[in-house]
Amino acid sequence: MPDHNKVTACVDHSRFADYVTDYGAWAAQRMGTLLDLLHVLDRHPETAASSSDHSGAIGLGAQDDLLQELAESERQTLLSARERGRTLLARLRQRALDAGAAEVDIRQRLGELTQTLVEQAPAIGLLVLGRRGASAEQSGRDIGRHVEAIVRALHIPILTVTDAFTPPQRVLIAYDGGSMTRRAVEWVGAQPLLAGLDITVCMASTPSAQTEKALDWARQTLQSRGMTAQALARAGDPESVISAVLKEQNIDLLIMGAYSHSPVRKLLLGSKTADLLRASTIPTLLLR
Amino acid sequence: MMQTFRQDWLSNIRNDLLSGVVVALALIPEAIAFSIIAGVDPKVGLYAAFSMATVIAFAGGRPGMVSAATGAMALVMVSLVKEHGLQYMLAATLLTGVLQMIIGWAGFDRLMRFVSRSVITGFANALAILIFLAQLPELIRVPWAVYPLVAAGLAIIYLLPRITRVVPSPLVAIVVLTIVTAAFGIHVPTVGDKGQLPDSLPMFLMPDVPLNFETLRIIFPVSLAMAVVGLLESMMTATLIDDFTDTSSNKRRECVGQGVANIATGFLGGMAGCAMIGQSVINVKSGGRGRLSTLTAGVVLLVMVVFLGDWVARIPMAALVAVMIMVSIGTFNWGSIRNLREHPKSSSVVMLATVAVVVATDNLALGVLTGVLLSGFFFAHKVGSILRVSSRADAEGRSRTYTVTGQVFFASADAFISRFDFKEVIDKVHIDVSRAHFWDITAISALDKVILKFRREATEVEVTGLNEASATLVDKFAVHDKDGAEDLLMSH
Repeated sequence: MPDHNKVTACVDHSRFADYVTDYGAWAAQRMGTLLDLLHVLDRHPETAASSSDHSGAIGLGAQDDLLQELAESERQTLLSARERGRTLLARLRQRALDAGAAEVDIRQRLGELTQTLVEQAPAIGLLVLGRRGASAEQSGRDIGRHVEAIVRALHIPILTVTDAFTPPQRVLIAYDGGSMTRRAVEWVGAQPLLAGLDITVCMASTPSAQTEKALDWARQTLQSRGMTAQALARAGDPESVISAVLKEQNIDLLIMGAYSHSPVRKLLLGSKTADLLRASTIPTLLLR
Repeated sequence: MMQTFRQDWLSNIRNDLLSGVVVALALIPEAIAFSIIAGVDPKVGLYAAFSMATVIAFAGGRPGMVSAATGAMALVMVSLVKEHGLQYMLAATLLTGVLQMIIGWAGFDRLMRFVSRSVITGFANALAILIFLAQLPELIRVPWAVYPLVAAGLAIIYLLPRITRVVPSPLVAIVVLTIVTAAFGIHVPTVGDKGQLPDSLPMFLMPDVPLNFETLRIIFPVSLAMAVVGLLESMMTATLIDDFTDTSSNKRRECVGQGVANIATGFLGGMAGCAMIGQSVINVKSGGRGRLSTLTAGVVLLVMVVFLGDWVARIPMAALVAVMIMVSIGTFNWGSIRNLREHPKSSSVVMLATVAVVVATDNLALGVLTGVLLSGFFFAHKVGSILRVSSRADAEGRSRTYTVTGQVFFASADAFISRFDFKEVIDKVHIDVSRAHFWDITAISALDKVILKFRREATEVEVTGLNEASATLVDKFAVHDKDGAEDLLMSH
């Protein structure tokens, strides 16, 4: 089984990890690739672990003692974190195998999450993330602290998932006829991931000849790959059109092109993507 | 970028603020003591400590590293202050900053890899010894009451942390000794006796020196030495903090930042400074990690000395001496004494030579230079001794094959020549150098010499196996395969 182009699922100690694993197993199974469960032990060397010593006195061998002391305290924290992470990964691995994933690899890494993913990105075909993680669960944020940073930093398909797992049946592609979303359509056509599912290409625009042409292209691209797709155009701003269609058609997977490359557009469209991400309550596949 | 900003400044706020205060309290006695070493008013050192710590918080490349007026720099500027006065020292501080920016920008940090572990240890030990020696004038020909005061100060500094670690023990020592001397009317030298203390915030001033070549001639040597010493200590301290926190730092930015900080300090009427090993250890120990810790240290220090100036003047020198003895003990690498017996002799010699030269000259740059050169010699010697030449006779004694293994360069060239037997009566010599490397032109000329000497004895020579790197050198510089080779040997 090839381990490039693999599905990597990022898990942590929050309850979302289960659903991330489920979606990862689903995707790996459909794409016929390896599922890699990744747990990053986030270390914060920029924050002091404890600082009860304000004596300001340095005595014999102060440097060596301090180094030993810091190394020891970090070792202890790491040892327990490592064990806890290993237990989590072992459990999730079993869960993924039970869900039908053919081959599951587990991996713990030290470092900062975004940075770790940037390093691993070349081997990743699809990244699965919880939209919220352990930190968001505590702070009550509606979108994980890391998610936006990761989406900005990585140039690979990212599936962000929500509270529960349902195998996707009806898929909606948010489409505007531009190059970003055209590439998204091509990606969908080229992957076995969504083959056989019920795909709708949706455009927020007043129906016109031009709109019709753009939608035709999308439909034909998908049909040439043997997928059934219906096209839909509706007037309104993208956000409200898409959320309306999501509800009406009972969609369970949203696909959109995220964040273009130019910095100015990044600023404008980037926030759009984040808004959509926040607004939608179903799993969202971001393509770049 | 936003993320780095948050990480550097805001990720450790509470600890940074607390440790900043601890560091500020520990900086005050040191800044005063170092100005006294340099022979200037305490306010020069205190302004320097404020300005260095504050500017480096923004400009530095190693968050959490404390920079201020230091002993290393003070020692280099002593003679300049003595002979030409404060204004020339301020001008020298400015020039130091400019030089550091240039040297730092050009990549000083990359040179640090030539400074071996032994040299770094020697530097720290020498610094500790110098800080200690600088306290001696305060201990000789002083009222007898100074001695019990120093002892009491040391006792408080080292014993109080066993009871509580909430308050900085050096501060407690200073406060207690000040109160005791004032309450009992004990007459001992105080900080106020040593010169002027800050009575206002520092002001932007141009050093009052003539802008001509003569001035440059006076300040340049001092500035260059200070620039090098400052960058050396800063780079060593940065590596130390890197190890403590298991993070990396931007060394080049730190070098340039030291320059910026010294320029600012010169304009604010402070003495040149650099990173401080002891204070940085205290900062990390107290939980300081981010830029906020050093900024807090600088600002708190200034506020305290400006508003508590009258009290600072009454601090007995004995209390400062006790604090400085603590700093000296904490800076010294005590493990290195134990290691003298275990480590290779050459490393120990390098370390001791570095210490000796610094203590003899008061110039840390000279000590480091000595250490680096010695390490170079020892290394060349060691690598040079990896040279083996074996030989065996063949073709019934008509020819002999020499096999050379190892490194041939300036340090091993003579040994290389001496391994050949030129007086052997033989038709042909075959030299196999396929497992040797010829590094420089000394090595190549040694090979030439061997070949020509054999030819004079009417022995035919064949060299095989020169690897590519050696071959390039031979092609460029060797004479044996060019016309008139014999003539050249004759002329020697």
